[in-house]
Amino acid sequence: MTLSLLLLIPFLGAFLLLLWPSEPAPGRMRAIAITTLALQLIWSLWVLFRFDPSLEGMQLQESYRWVASLGLDYRLGIDGLSLPLVLINGALTLVSAVCTRDISQRPRIYFALLLLISAAVNGAFLAENLLLFFLFYELELIPLWLLISIWGGTGRAYAATKFLIFTAVSGMLILGAFLGLALLTGTADFSLTPVLSDRLAMGSQLVLLVALMIGFAIKIPLVPFHTWLPDAHTQASTPVSVLLAGVLLKLGTYGLLRFCLGLFPEAWKLVAPVLAIWAAVSVLYGSLAAIAQRDMKRMVAYSSVGHMGMILLAAAAATPVSLLGAVFQMVSHGLISALLFLLVGIVYRKTGTRDLEVLRGLLNPERGLPFTGTLMILGVMASAGLPGMAGFISEFLIFRGSIGAYPLATLLCLVGSGLTAVYFLLLVNRAFFGRLAITPPSPDPVSDSRLDIRLAGVALRETLPALGLSLAVVGLGLVPAGLGWLSETTSTAMAALAAHSGGLL
Amino acid sequence: MPVIPAELTYSGGRPSADQLAARLLVGETLLAEHPEHLVEVVDVLKSYGEVLDAYSINLIFQAERQFLNPFPVFRFLDGDLSPAKIWRHLNHDRINFEYAEYCMKAMLWHGTGGLDAYLDSPAFLDNCRAVIQRKTRRDPLLAVLDPLFPGFLPEAIRAAATTHALGQFWRVMSDLFLDLAKAEASGSVASIAAVVRFIQDGLVRAAAQPISYAVEVEGNSYWILPPEAGLTFLVDVAVPYVEAVFLRGMPFLGTVSFNAQAQQISPDQAQFAYGALYADPLPTMGAGIPPSLLMQDMYRHLPDRLHALYRRRSRSEGDVRVKICMSFQKSMFCVTNAAIAGTFPHPLDSNDPVAQAANRAYADAWAARLSVARTDCLDPWSDRIPT
Repeated sequence: MTLSLLLLIPFLGAFLLLLWPSEPAPGRMRAIAITTLALQLIWSLWVLFRFDPSLEGMQLQESYRWVASLGLDYRLGIDGLSLPLVLINGALTLVSAVCTRDISQRPRIYFALLLLISAAVNGAFLAENLLLFFLFYELELIPLWLLISIWGGTGRAYAATKFLIFTAVSGMLILGAFLGLALLTGTADFSLTPVLSDRLAMGSQLVLLVALMIGFAIKIPLVPFHTWLPDAHTQASTPVSVLLAGVLLKLGTYGLLRFCLGLFPEAWKLVAPVLAIWAAVSVLYGSLAAIAQRDMKRMVAYSSVGHMGMILLAAAAATPVSLLGAVFQMVSHGLISALLFLLVGIVYRKTGTRDLEVLRGLLNPERGLPFTGTLMILGVMASAGLPGMAGFISEFLIFRGSIGAYPLATLLCLVGSGLTAVYFLLLVNRAFFGRLAITPPSPDPVSDSRLDIRLAGVALRETLPALGLSLAVVGLGLVPAGLGWLSETTSTAMAALAAHSGGLL
Repeated sequence: MPVIPAELTYSGGRPSADQLAARLLVGETLLAEHPEHLVEVVDVLKSYGEVLDAYSINLIFQAERQFLNPFPVFRFLDGDLSPAKIWRHLNHDRINFEYAEYCMKAMLWHGTGGLDAYLDSPAFLDNCRAVIQRKTRRDPLLAVLDPLFPGFLPEAIRAAATTHALGQFWRVMSDLFLDLAKAEASGSVASIAAVVRFIQDGLVRAAAQPISYAVEVEGNSYWILPPEAGLTFLVDVAVPYVEAVFLRGMPFLGTVSFNAQAQQISPDQAQFAYGALYADPLPTMGAGIPPSLLMQDMYRHLPDRLHALYRRRSRSEGDVRVKICMSFQKSMFCVTNAAIAGTFPHPLDSNDPVAQAANRAYADAWAARLSVARTDCLDPWSDRIPT
């Protein structure tokens, strides 16, 4: 029941909100959501306390027969790969709820959807049955679509529909691969069995792996399946962007490691060189596209495309160090991108724009957003992989673990990592340095230096979530051993599985 | 991209040079009449007057008591070396006397008017020689320095003379601004026009006040700026001060900087337009740097009425130094207005076409310089959030 509570708490919170009599004030609904998510986080920490990092298999397992004829069992378990993601889901969903303010439109449904997403994501990370994973994977789709299409920006209909189509195709490919695996192996057991694919011919393995790979590549997203992400981020509200970048994209990378690498280690060996090049292309494309953006949010979104590509590189190399780096990257990207989206959200709320051609000098200590700017500089430094922050640890582990297997792809990804500094320095330089202005630059120096900047100040409570994430980013950068201790056994076991199956080492 | 909300980009008006000249010629004030303008100008000048009082005392102390001191470590303590005073100084519970020094250096460097002419005269050098000769008798460091660098000590004395002259100038201005606050409190000054008249009258009254400076070395008094040099308050100190600090260059630390290599600074000092009337009250770069040391000092002495007004505007205490700076610019436009009004070559109501043309040319010259200043602060709504 320990793991089931990670699903039950947010599910019950969602139902409580939906069934709450009369029409409570939005503040009360927010309080209920925050309380529920805080309980979920506390319970996640309890799971952490009970977790034994020295064991390599699934722990705290729960299993109940559900629809036996379909092979759908309720089986949950947790290991060093899923535990950090469950923790980050608990933390970032709570951050999303905390930074949701002034929501006047259907707050009851908004917070219920937020809780549903959190529950579904926990379910997907904990599922030990392929169909159960698919159910939870699909379950988060509709709430997120609603969150974008109801509470999004002016182009929300287009962005939400695009998101829906892309992720629906992703779901179909994943389901097709799971069903194909069952069909070809002649078993109706959808339990997570790594050696299942051994029974298949390599051609069949490759077909199934490619379908699964594309399914998760859409979710991650990898180039060229990434086009839904910048649109979705641009139109989504800040809390939804935090969830999307921080948690939901991780479903794709989790699937990549758990199912693509985990279920098809032999076929993985064959496609790994192609995947490494794909990773390099994705990293470079994401970084170069980010440089070309003038919308801060699109820039951060493209940076996600680049950084998530590095996880593919790590998975392709499949060494113990690179896989540990992949876990670190999932956590650090979750924290850093959530931080950056929170800060972009503050800038947008105060200035009404995210246009880098318009914003200047926001670091102004008197009338700008100096604390927001300070945290933004910290965030971009972390994203660029500066030592002392979470981004450095994950990128270092990935590059160190991958360079032996794929030196060219790793070097190209290193260039992409360097480009992170380029586009984020462009962002900081344009929007935060110089003379404060929220008007397009003008050739007239007089009108270019107007005094009439009337940005409202940022209250401490508005920056508290970002401050918390900043501390986590620095904390993970300075003391990475804790996460390493949690995940090392699992990542080493995964690497051994890949090596055992014809191996990459 | 979303449309930027109008209330975030509201801009005050900027009068053209013709409009400014027309206002000067008909005797209208540059700063618009508005009850809040009156509060801003009178109260900010009151706080400025209190700060100038401290600056004046310290500058005169430095010029007289720290004369040719090669290591004037305690020059900001006004001679009080008690532990409590030193602790307050180190704890920055003090007036920023550095600002006064920067203004002195601006005057010395831009060097216009009678004071500068006298500082370059042979008579001044003679005075320097006499005092240096006496001073080097018992000061071995100066005795070594003077023959090695013969221009060093006279230059230090020029700085001391400018320091003393600025101290005397601010003594007058401090009293004038504090009197203005009393006059406004008593009801005798109730408009911006009355403020400008009050300052103009004060400047005219002090115009002929002599400026002199003597130092005491080993019990003997030595003239640096003797009375016979004929230096007076208005022409020899006030006008050069306005030229240097209001128009050419004011040390508002942390404001926008200019790149000389990119030709953003004219090689001609007379073309400089970085003074108080042009300065950007918004600090640029370096989070944490205040708009200026002066704004910090005035904040310490801010009258309650003005403080309450600021609390109702934009970010309340958060950007109070920017608001002080904006009010200070308004008040400096009033002082400039008074100086211009008091120095027209002919009475403004003259019917003589020659006199009118001369006045016109005088007004045009000022308007041309002021038209590129921060005249958007003259708009009564420029610091308000439109409703």
